[in-house]
Amino acid sequence: MKLTSLISAALHTIRLLLSLLVLWLSFGWKVRKARKAFERELVKAGMAKKDAKRLSAWYSKLKGDIIQAVKSSAFKWH
Amino acid sequence: MIGEEEERHSKKKEEDVEELRELLSVVSKEVPALIKGIIASVFSEEAGRDMGRAAAAFYKELKEAGIPEDVAVKMTEGYISTFTSLGEVMKRAIGGEKHTETKKLEKELEKEISRKIREKLAEKGLAEKEEKEEGEEEEEDGN
Repeated sequence: MKLTSLISAALHTIRLLLSLLVLWLSFGWKVRKARKAFERELVKAGMAKKDAKRLSAWYSKLKGDIIQAVKSSAFKWH
Repeated sequence: MIGEEEERHSKKKEEDVEELRELLSVVSKEVPALIKGIIASVFSEEAGRDMGRAAAAFYKELKEAGIPEDVAVKMTEGYISTFTSLGEVMKRAIGGEKHTETKKLEKELEKEISRKIREKLAEKGLAEKEEKEEGEEEEEDGN
């Protein structure tokens, strides 16, 4: 009973870590897609492409801020 | 007696492991789903499109009002910066940094407390001085 519980706990931990890894890897791709969609709307409204690209940089900034915040909180726990 | 204690200890360990297993089971399901939901609300293609539409509508209004291109772009940038403040908020919330206003309040509170302490000390100092003077007068009277 104890051994099966330990194995089950270990499997759940692996599952959690894998899910978090997949989320981490897909994060960058999602940010890129959101940024492109954002730029498309601005260009449709008549804005120059270079201006739309510059404005959409906030997405990358926001992503960076969130990653930085998560990293710093993770180090704090340690 | 010792055997009973060992059995109790072992049972407790088993219960702890079982509890941990249940906790991990819930956490491994809920936490990724929660994070996925948070990411999707801001970083999905649909969210990007909606925010782009909002910024585009703002920009269009400015252009229709006759505002020059470069000014309209700058103003739209300012409008978009309200979204980036979310990053600052999250930074503070997760990183535990204090808000500027909270820092200001703490400084003011510190000053106020120091002032009160100084006042009290000054009062105490004066009171001691008066007591000393009274004591000296009584001595003189006694002599």
